[in-house]
Parts: sequence; C-alpha cells; structure tokens
Amino acid sequence: MLGIMLQKMWHKKWMNLSLLLGFILLVATAASFPLYQTGAYNRMLTDEFDHYLSSQGVWPAQLSLQVSTKKEKDGKTIKTMEAFIPSIYRDLDVKERDTITLYTMTSGEVSSEYERNDASDLSARLGFKSHLEDHINIVNGRMYSDSGLSEDGAIEVIISQKCMTKQGYLVDEPMVYDAIRNFEGKPLRYKIVGVFEPISAGDLYWNDKETEFDDLCLMNEALFRDSFLGEKAVKYSFVCRYTALFEYDDIKADDVERLKKQIDHYAHVGSYRNVIDEPPILAVLDGYSNKHSRISATLTILQIPVLIMLAAFLLMISGQMYEMERNEISVIKSRGSSRLQIFLLYLYQALSLTGLGILGGVPLGMLLARLLGSTRNFLIFDLSEQLTVRFDKHAALYVLAAAGIGLLCLTLPAIRHSKVSIVNLKQQKALNKKRLWEILFLDVICIGIGGYGYYNFTRSSADVAENVLNNKAMDPLLYLSSSLMIVGLGLLFLRLQPLLLRLVYTVGKRFWRPAPFIAFMENVKNGRKQQLIMLFLIMTVSLGMFHSAVARTIVENAVRNTDYKDGCDLQMKEVWTEVVDRNGARTGVYIEPDPAKYLTASFIDSYTKVYRLKDIEADGGKNGKLSINLMGINTKEYGSITWVDKKLNGKAYYELLNELAVVENGLLVSANFRDKLGYKIGDSITYKKENSGNATGVIVDFFDYWPGYAAEESVQQPDGKVSTESNYLVVAHFEYLKSKLGELPYEVMAKMKEGATAEQIYEWTEANNMRLTTYVNRNDDLEEAQTDPLLQGTNGVLTLGFVVTLILCGVGYLIYWIMALKERELVFGVLRASGFHKGEVFHMLFLEQIFCGGLSIAAGFGIGKLTSTLFVPILQKVYASSSQILPLELISDSSDLIRLICVIAAMMVICFLVLTLMTFRMNVAKALKLGEE
Amino acid sequence: MGNIIEVQDVSRTFPVPGGEFQALKHINAAIPESSFVILKGRSGSGKTTLLNIICTLDKPTGGTVRIDGEDVSKLTDYKKEELRRKKMGFVFQSVSLIPSLNAFQNVEFSMRMAGIKPGKERDKRVEECLRLVGLGNRMTHMPAEMSGGEQQRVAIARALAHKPKMILADEPTAELDSAMAAKVATLFAEMSKKEGISILMTTHDVGLMGAADYLIELNNGERIDGGEN
Repeated sequence: MLGIMLQKMWHKKWMNLSLLLGFILLVATAASFPLYQTGAYNRMLTDEFDHYLSSQGVWPAQLSLQVSTKKEKDGKTIKTMEAFIPSIYRDLDVKERDTITLYTMTSGEVSSEYERNDASDLSARLGFKSHLEDHINIVNGRMYSDSGLSEDGAIEVIISQKCMTKQGYLVDEPMVYDAIRNFEGKPLRYKIVGVFEPISAGDLYWNDKETEFDDLCLMNEALFRDSFLGEKAVKYSFVCRYTALFEYDDIKADDVERLKKQIDHYAHVGSYRNVIDEPPILAVLDGYSNKHSRISATLTILQIPVLIMLAAFLLMISGQMYEMERNEISVIKSRGSSRLQIFLLYLYQALSLTGLGILGGVPLGMLLARLLGSTRNFLIFDLSEQLTVRFDKHAALYVLAAAGIGLLCLTLPAIRHSKVSIVNLKQQKALNKKRLWEILFLDVICIGIGGYGYYNFTRSSADVAENVLNNKAMDPLLYLSSSLMIVGLGLLFLRLQPLLLRLVYTVGKRFWRPAPFIAFMENVKNGRKQQLIMLFLIMTVSLGMFHSAVARTIVENAVRNTDYKDGCDLQMKEVWTEVVDRNGARTGVYIEPDPAKYLTASFIDSYTKVYRLKDIEADGGKNGKLSINLMGINTKEYGSITWVDKKLNGKAYYELLNELAVVENGLLVSANFRDKLGYKIGDSITYKKENSGNATGVIVDFFDYWPGYAAEESVQQPDGKVSTESNYLVVAHFEYLKSKLGELPYEVMAKMKEGATAEQIYEWTEANNMRLTTYVNRNDDLEEAQTDPLLQGTNGVLTLGFVVTLILCGVGYLIYWIMALKERELVFGVLRASGFHKGEVFHMLFLEQIFCGGLSIAAGFGIGKLTSTLFVPILQKVYASSSQILPLELISDSSDLIRLICVIAAMMVICFLVLTLMTFRMNVAKALKLGEE
Repeated sequence: MGNIIEVQDVSRTFPVPGGEFQALKHINAAIPESSFVILKGRSGSGKTTLLNIICTLDKPTGGTVRIDGEDVSKLTDYKKEELRRKKMGFVFQSVSLIPSLNAFQNVEFSMRMAGIKPGKERDKRVEECLRLVGLGNRMTHMPAEMSGGEQQRVAIARALAHKPKMILADEPTAELDSAMAAKVATLFAEMSKKEGISILMTTHDVGLMGAADYLIELNNGERIDGGEN
C-alpha cells in the first residue's frame, strides 16, 4: 500500500507539491497569527509599562509595603516582612530588579554639641536606605565610614541638602539623640559627616515621599541593624518601607492574567493588604487587558477569511487530484479494491503531506509573524523593527487545528470519489450541470445580507463609534457584511460572465477565426469548471483592494489625526515656580525658567512661545458668559512652526493668521463658540483670568480647525455612556495677553531640524536640568500611531492575507490551467497536426486567459472598488481612536493600486508564459499517439 | 494522373541509448491523385513514422518528400502548417474530435481552418459531409454523446469537408469493430473517387486491404511489397 502511495505521489509530483505548498501555507498562516499576536501583545505590554514609566515617572512593576512597629521585643514584624519580600519575586515568578529598604526610627529631639544661637528645637530621625552609596554624590564632607562609627564612637551620618539648609546643620557637627540610649544607657551620639544629592533626578531609587529626607540622618545599614535590631539592642519603634521592583521586560502577555490575580490578592485580599500601597502595575495590566481583548477579537475576525481561502484551496487542489485520478480509482475499484482500501490510500497520502506541511509550515509561520510585526502599511514593511517571536502552546494549538482541517479537506473528497466506478464515470464526465450555488441563488443571498449590513451600519454609525470608546471589539457582522458582499458580487459575476461571453460569441458566430472560435467554445462548454479558480481570483483582487483601502485609510487617518493633534514638531512646557508670599499664599507671580537654553538647542530650527490658558471666563455682554480656552501666539512665528490642512477650514491657515496679525487686540474664535453665542466678525469679547485682570478683544475671524484643537471631546460617563463636551477656543496675540494678564507660564512650540532625534532632546533637557510638564514629540507620536498593535495587527493580517491568497491564487491558477491543458493535450495535438499555427495557439490561450483570468481580475477590481467605497467609511470608525478629531476620510493611494496591479499582472504573465511554453513543447506526434496500445 | 505524394529514398533514424534505431530505410513511394492507398505493416514497422513524415510533422533524416510537387523540406514551419490545414485532412486512431464542439461545429472547424468563407455554402458542405458519413441526423450531438464509430465518422467528415488534396488516416479503424472498420474503408474508397481526394491510411487489419487501390507494406522500416509507386 505504501509503495502504491509513493508511486502515486511521485507520479503526480506537481500536484502533490502544490498540495504540500497549500499545507505549508495553511500551517504557516495559522501559526503566524497567534505567534504574531503573542509577540505584539508582549511588545504592547512593554509599551504600556514604558508609557506609564515615562508619563508618571514611577516604576510600574513594583510593590511597596510600609509597616510601623511598636517597640517589639522579639522584632517579629520586621522578621516576617524581611522573609515576605523575597517571597514576592518567587510567588509572582518575576525577576527582581531591585529591592529598596528604608528603615527609620521615629522622630525625636536632638541637640547639637555646638553652641547654636537659634532657639528652635532640632528634631531628627535616624535610618538607613539600602545600597544608598550607589545612588548619591557627596557634595560636602564625606561618606560615612565602612564601620559607620567615627573614631570617638559617634555614629556617622549623612543628610540631604534640603535637610542641611532646613535644619541649619554644619558638616562634622556632633549631635546627641536624647531619646535613644546605647547599650550602656547613654544618649546616642552621632555626627554629620557629609551632605548628599541624588546622582540623577530621574533615578527610580528615589521613590520616597517628598519630605522624607528633610530630617532624616542616614547611617550605615549594618551598624543600624546591629545597634537597633540586634539581640542586645534596646527596642524602639520603626517605620519600615520596602519596595520590590521587578523587571517588566520579562513579563509576558501570558503572565498578565495570573499576575493581575496574584497582585490583586496581595493588595486587596491577602493578609498583607493593609501594608501594601495600591500597586501601579494593576492599572497598567488592566489597561493592557482592555486593549488586548479588543485587538484579539478584531484580528480573529480578520483572519478567518484567509483561513477559509486556504481550506478552499486545499479542497480545490485535492478535488483536481481526484478528478485526475478518477480513472485510476475506478480501475482499482473495478479490480476489486474495497472503498476502505482506496480511502486508506488517500488517508496515508494526506497524513504524509500533513506531516511535511507542519515541518515546513512552523518555521515559515515564525518568519511570517516576524514580517507581520514589521508592517507599516498595506504591503509596506519596516524590517528594521523586528518582533520577538517564540513558538508557544497557542501556536501549537493553531497548528494542530490547521493540520486537522487540512487533513479533512484532503480526505473527505476521497469518500465521495471512492464510490465512483468506471461505469458511472463516463456519464459524469459529460455533464456540465448547474452548480448548487446557482440553483440556490447564493449570490443574490450574499449580496442581500451584505447590503442589509451596509444599510444597518450606516444607519447606526454612532453605535460603531461608541464601541470604539468603550474599547469594544469590532462587530463581526460588520466585517462579515463586507466579505459577504464581495463573495456575493463575485458569484453574481460568475453567473453573468458566461452570458456575456455567449453574447459576444453569438454576434460573430460564423466569422470567428479558428483561435477565438475554440476559445469561445471551450468557455461555453467548460466554463463551469473554471468557476472556483475564477472566484479565487476575484476574491484575491477585490479583497486585496478592499483591504489595502482599509489599511491605508485607518493608518493614514491615525497619522493625520496625530499630526493635527500635535500641530508642530515639538511642544514643551517647563515647571514654573509660583512665588509664595510670607504667609505661604499664592501670588499668581511665576518665575520664568531661563529661556536662553532654547536658543542653544542644536536640534531646534525655530521656536515660539505660546500661552495656553484654561478656564478663562469670556463675557460677551448680552451674549452671555462661557468658560473658554485662551491661546496667545506670535502670529508670524506660530504660523511658520505649526500647520493646519487648508481644506479643513475652507481657507488657508496663513490667511487666518494674517487677519489676526493686523489687529492688536484681535481674536480668532472657534466656530462652535460663534454658534453657541451668536457672534459675528467685529464683535468684541471681554475675557478674564482669575487673579490676573482682564482684556477685551475684537473678533477678526472664525475657524473650525486649529493646531491641536478639538471642538468636541468625547467623554465616557461613569455609567459607560459616551457624551460629548464642547471646547471653545479663542486665539489672541501673545504680547497683548502678556501686557493685559501679566507674565504667565508659557509653552514652547518648536520646529525641529532635519534628522533631529529624541535622544538629542533628552540629553538637552537633562543637561539643562529641565522639569517638563508638557512634552510632545510629533515623531514619537507618529511612530506610536503606526505601531499601535490594533492598526499594525490589522495591517499585518490584511497584508499577510493578501500575500497568502495571492500565492494560492497564482499556484491554483497555474495548476488549474496545467491540468486543463493536460486534459486537452489530445485536442492540441489534433489542432497542431491539422495545421494550427503557433501564433494561433498563443492567441487561443491568450483569449482563454482573458475570459477566465482577465475578466475575473477586472471584476475583482470593480468589486473591490465598490466594496471599499461602501464599507471602508464604516469600518474605519472601528479603528478611529477615541481622540479622533479630523473628519474621517476614505483614503486610497494610487501606489497601492499600482502595487496590486503589478503583483497580479506578474502572476498572470508568469502563468501565461508557463502555459504557452508548455503547449509549445508539447510533442504533437506523441500527443496524437496517446491512445495507441 | 500525377502523384500527389512522392516519397524518395526516405530514411529516419532515432537516437537510442548506445546507438541509433533505423525506423525507415530508404523508402520510395508515390501516391497518385484520387487513389485510396493502404499503408500496411505490423506495429513498429514504421508506418506511423512514414505517415508523420508525409504530413510534415516529422522530418526524414534522409531523402525527400514532395507534396503536390513541392519539396516539403524547403518549407518553413508556417508554410507546412498552411499546407496541412489547406491541402490535408487527418483522421487519427484515437478519438480526435474537439470535445467542446458538436458534430457540426467539428466539421465546420476544418473549413474555418482552411479559410473557407462563412455562409450558406459552407453550412451546406458541412451537412453534405456529415450525410456522406451517415450522420445527417446527429449533427448537433456532442462527441461525448456519440459512440466511437460515430465519432470516427465525424472525424472523417471533418477531414474531407474543406476538400483537401489528401487525407492521412493513422489507424482510423483500430478502435472500431470489424463491421464498422469495413464500413470506414469502403467510405474511404468511395470518397477518393467521388471527391477526388487521395487517401493514405495505415492499418494492420488485413481484412481491409481489398478496398484499397494500392498497398504499401512496411516491415522493419523497409518496404516489402515490392511495389513501384
């Protein structure tokens, strides 16, 4: 049996190779989706952590615990805690990054051995912070010695600069801690030997509360433990703070649910819940989980059609194979083989193909997953960005499922075919019956459902938007509707195509020259055999077009939106210190951080100062009062640094700026403000900032869009409902506002030089010791928008789906035609023998390709265009972020279409060349003698 | 009466592992106009090779073949194809109808190939030929709906529809029963006279020899009938 199988497989090696290819692709595609997703989720998780870290300045993967002990004799609490901390890493199965321990004694009165002239009481706390020496610079004096004791037996301590100024200490000042006694019962003596400052302000080691070091004298850890925690030590009360920082790079998507559960248990249920601070990691993981479920649902919906196409491909090829082997099967059967034997023969073949398919498919799947991870747009990859892909149990599950489906596709037809004996074979061959779908009007049904879906979703597009805000996944029906529409239209074309050809044929019935005559007749008689491959072609092209439109539109809209929201290359706002009066009350007067540094920044091309003031009260007299956002700009500078697309306002951006430039107290006002209060050009508005006086301006024009301005903001209410709030923006002159409202903290907007990097900015802010409250870098934001896992995953899946269907289509098409030509070998022999010229053979084949492939591709383009126009506008709402400001636009890039056409044309040309070559190399005499005994 | 086909000293060797196989050895033959000639011989005697050379699908390694007075070795491939489609008709051993065309269209096709203008004349000729082979009532049937004998008769009608100078038939009776084979041979004999077409038919069926005007017999690549023509 094995011998027969191998012989059979070798005999049809091309067929089997294509089946194998189909199998490999099926397995690879099936594996690549979970592999990519896991990789992307891991990356997304890391991004979420990174994002938390950079926005909050707090290490997200940490647990902080704080206990206070009350003069315990046995020191049990501390012992328990010190045993508990290491167990956190073990239980959570995470890698320790750092464990920071801070022990302090309660505050007590101290006295200096120096004569002090201020009368105020000095108080201090003694304590230690683990591996302090790695994180500080000594700015004055020295570090405490290794023993922690000075020669005279006093404890050496170091203090912060703030403590130094606040308490008025001197270096080397000997102190006495009255409340604390040493072993001999004498008051404890200590000596301030140095003053420290953190090596770096951003060091995550300094996660303490702001006032922590105001009165803390830090000493040697060993000495502290020995003196106050040891066996012989006198018992005191302590405050112990532990921070367990663990590496988040090592936390994988798979760990999330487990970690969430465990950490939630620690913080809210377990016995340590009262001493654990609310862990920041929970918020990060929750945010991640929400995104994750939305993405995975969406991507799952998107990948189903690809998998269906793959299965259909296997069915088609195996169908072809059975078709070819019908004679053999019926002969074997007539000679007395049982159906079971025939079935087993095919089962073994399918099993060996499955095995090889898995062997080849898994590595290819990993490669595809990596490729998916570097998708930037439809059919566009950025290979410098690689995804880490590891084969895991999810992927294994997918592979097994794919292999199972493939196996079914290969063996199920065998059951049907094993019934056929030589007798009914000939009868069957003559038939050109209507297919089931034609009888059932499946095309009309599909179009109907798709059309209904379109109608429904157009009507309720608000729901689609609400789902986006609620982080819900795409409604599968939406994608299904568009897919059904494509299938339905494709089938409708298949119904119409023969009628069209017949019409053309009938017109010139008698006059057709031999080549077109044969081509027409072949299609009229055997057209139905081509339907599957034609449907494949139509689907490939139309899905390709549709998907490229979806991908292009969602990415481009996200990019444009980001671009608009940022409005310029770089925005920064430093922390301005507000001057406080003697009583500690705010004065509304701020100290401007040194502006000279902007002039020296090597990456800045030009910059401008901008006021952005919130909660300004605008008084329009009889028009009423409203809270507005007020902006102050230098029109010329601002115009050269920011931009707004001309078509958004129906008026060039610079025209608005010019109108403002010529009126000293001029105002540009958002259109919704006008609509709300009924303003017109020339009206004046008085606006007032709390504590800062007021100003009056004259409206010079209105705008709909302004850099970064969103007229409406969607806000999610606690009950989950989404409501919109209006933003009113008024733009005035910077200098005018300054003169009327006084010096206020401004923001700097800058245009960056070509090739400037985020590292440069980072180094510059570090070097200038800047504390920023606002930092917006357009390049970073654009990159973030493009690598958003939902967008990228969608692009990746759509691109991969397209590439896979294209390969299948090419291979399927070629196989179909090779088979068809093989079947017609005798006819070709007859034609050539009867004097058919090579040119005519070429002509005939060409026409047949046009009838089958050409028309299908043309139909595919038409259907793709139609479906894109109908469905992309609805679909893209699914991908629009909740912060979408610009009107969504259907974006098609002619380069996408050209790329698609090139790829498909290349496929067709290759197929055509192979077929022509094959026909020409056919030995006419040999073909004719086929029937010879 | 002139000779429509002249074969002069034609040899054909095929390279085989370790040497050459001589399929035809210095064959001379001539086929007059309007004659029915049977090329006789066992399997492997070289009759199909000779037929292939005559119909210009194969080239002799030695000697010349003249068709209608023209040395075919001087013709380009294109000219040879023109020769085949206009001056020759073919009947092959196995079913050789174009499966996607019905009987009428199959016959009509050889006339399209020969460049005969469409019109009533052409349609009449198709019907005439089909009636000649006794299939006047099955003109719209598809090949798959006909028996082997019927299909072969359609092939014959097709071979003569465009009024070629000669019909080359390679074992046309091999797959037919003897009664049908005899009928085909008689048909050929009749047509050669009625239509003025020379017919060269290969066969190894001795029962058919009586219908022929001439016999050419091959054995091991040599002509053994001793005939002059």
